[in-house]
Amino acid sequence: MAHVNPHDVMAKRKDKEILKSRVKAALLDFFFVFYSVLVVDRVIWNKFILQVKNIPFSWTEIGIIALVSLVVGVLWSLTGTSLSSKLFGISKKNSVTKYTFEIFGWFLFNITFIAGWIITKISIVDLFSEEGLNAAQRIFSALFTPEMAIFDEALFAIIETVYIALIATLVSIPITLIVSFASARNLMNENKFTLFIYATLRLISNFVRSIEPLIWAIIFSVWIGIGPYAGMLALLIHSIASNAKLYSEAIESIEEGPVEAISATGANKIQIIWYAVVPQIILPFLSFTIYRWDINVRMATIIGLVGGGGIGTMLIQYQGLAQWHEVGLIVIMIALVVWIMDYISTKIRQAIY
Amino acid sequence: MTILKVDNIHKIYPSGTHALKGVSFEVKDGEFLVIIGLSGSGKSTLLRCINRLHEPTSGEITFLDKDITHVKGKELRGIKQQIGMVFQQFNLIKRRSVLTNVITGRLGKLGTFQSITENFSPELIEEAMNALRIVGIEEKAYKRADSLSGGQQQRVAIARSLMQNPKLLLADEPVASLDPATSNSVMHYFEKINKELGTTVICNLHFLSLVRKYASRVIALKAGEIIYEGLPHDIDEKWFKTIYGEEAEEVEIR
Ligand SMILES: Nc1ncnc2c1ncn2[C@@H]1O[C@H](COP(=O)(O)OP(=O)(O)OP(=O)(O)O)[C@@H](O)[C@H]1O
Ligand SMILES: [Mg+2]
Repeated sequence: MAHVNPHDVMAKRKDKEILKSRVKAALLDFFFVFYSVLVVDRVIWNKFILQVKNIPFSWTEIGIIALVSLVVGVLWSLTGTSLSSKLFGISKKNSVTKYTFEIFGWFLFNITFIAGWIITKISIVDLFSEEGLNAAQRIFSALFTPEMAIFDEALFAIIETVYIALIATLVSIPITLIVSFASARNLMNENKFTLFIYATLRLISNFVRSIEPLIWAIIFSVWIGIGPYAGMLALLIHSIASNAKLYSEAIESIEEGPVEAISATGANKIQIIWYAVVPQIILPFLSFTIYRWDINVRMATIIGLVGGGGIGTMLIQYQGLAQWHEVGLIVIMIALVVWIMDYISTKIRQAIY
Repeated sequence: MTILKVDNIHKIYPSGTHALKGVSFEVKDGEFLVIIGLSGSGKSTLLRCINRLHEPTSGEITFLDKDITHVKGKELRGIKQQIGMVFQQFNLIKRRSVLTNVITGRLGKLGTFQSITENFSPELIEEAMNALRIVGIEEKAYKRADSLSGGQQQRVAIARSLMQNPKLLLADEPVASLDPATSNSVMHYFEKINKELGTTVICNLHFLSLVRKYASRVIALKAGEIIYEGLPHDIDEKWFKTIYGEEAEEVEIR
């Protein structure tokens, strides 16, 4: 270790950085070209201009397009005048780069927008057709004349929903705490092992978070049967993953000064966390958690639609029977409870700060 | 007796900045060494390498005849315990009491369980009060740290480092965010600790008037290298321009 030449270290590091950016830029350019060709060919040309209903799909064709795009993208990247090389800051600074950046950038944005428009099947005609307007009017008038006979039943169901959300939030707290500390980069960059834990946890929680609570509810209602328990588990798992991200970001954005000062006294990791990290994150944590309860109440109603219990389950039953007056009452009650929860959680969060 | 020996230290940050380029010097027991230099010259980096908040890229640091350049874990914590550090931004725990802040100086010697249950003995609390007495603010002991003025917070930070009974006290521009009068009073406490407790002090400073008043020896850094080493009174006009650049003019702070 004593005979390291600092200049070598510097030079090596710089070369490595540039090489990394080159590779990344080439891959990104490949992607841009591939994407443009696909969108223009499939969506704009075949689907919109030729109006082909079922565009034949073949892996060979895609493969050929990919191969050509790869060659074009990489060659383009190598000239140092491509979009990505500009994005990664390794481009040649000349007017060619400037024009490719502007023209190709615009092109990408526009084909994306146009393709989006085509795929969404946006149609003003459908929105204001006579038939459509009549149906809408029927539902709206029923919703505004709610059927009060099922009030007791609905009240009970909505209380169930609030409790499902509450329990999911409370149970999530201790688990989230552990996960968030272990997935905060500034606490886990000690050595390879802790970094491995950090990366794994990030990966898992990103994965879990990317699956909507609705899907989790479906999974759990198959797993343990339809009802509030399945709904609670769905919310729990989603709360943990979402809040762990918020918590760990709060931990990563704390003031470094106190951490440095406490570690300079010779304190160990746990002591540093207790004295320098925890006091800085208590308020944000509380605030996130209360907000999560609020979100969970909204989600609990949705989750009920797929068998997660509570008011949502009731709603889907009456909707299935097309009893719109009953649905009206339920919708109004949901809106009311959500609004109250929102109000309370905002008030509490304001009081904390 | 030599308490600290820094030998050909280089520090390259992961970002690629070459902050220290072969710095070597020695510090004798009981000295009040002041490091000066422009912003970005590497003063803070040097102090952080000495108490191993940062690990030097190459070179060797010897503290109390022990090579501490690459020590790790428990051993590293043991070294940190013997070196106090005071920061420009005070770095207190804002939401906790002054007394708790001072006690954190002793964490290295307390058990983990005892420190997170905050079960402190009356003797420990008395010692903390005593440290506060040395810097003259024992009446603030139960105030929240962030309710104090800048100068008072810096004195709390000094008291915290005193709880370590440090052999060596590092101070990174301890008065840079304070007004001139407060600066002088805070510097006074460093002098007191140096003279009365015999603690060796290494301090980064910006104002030459303070340097002349308190330093027993001066080192000047420029772009990561030592360009001056000597007595504070030998820094004449010519040296001043070399250290701070041709444009610079000396400002007086009393
Ligand atoms: N944690 C860090 N990561 C990357 N670069 C750093 C880091 N800390 C300092 N540097 C860089 O190292 C160089 C020396 O910085 P340093 O903070 O040691 O200077 P300084 O003399 O203390 O300046 P100042 O008087 O402004 O405090 C600067 O170029 C700075 O940008
Ligand atoms: Mg500094």
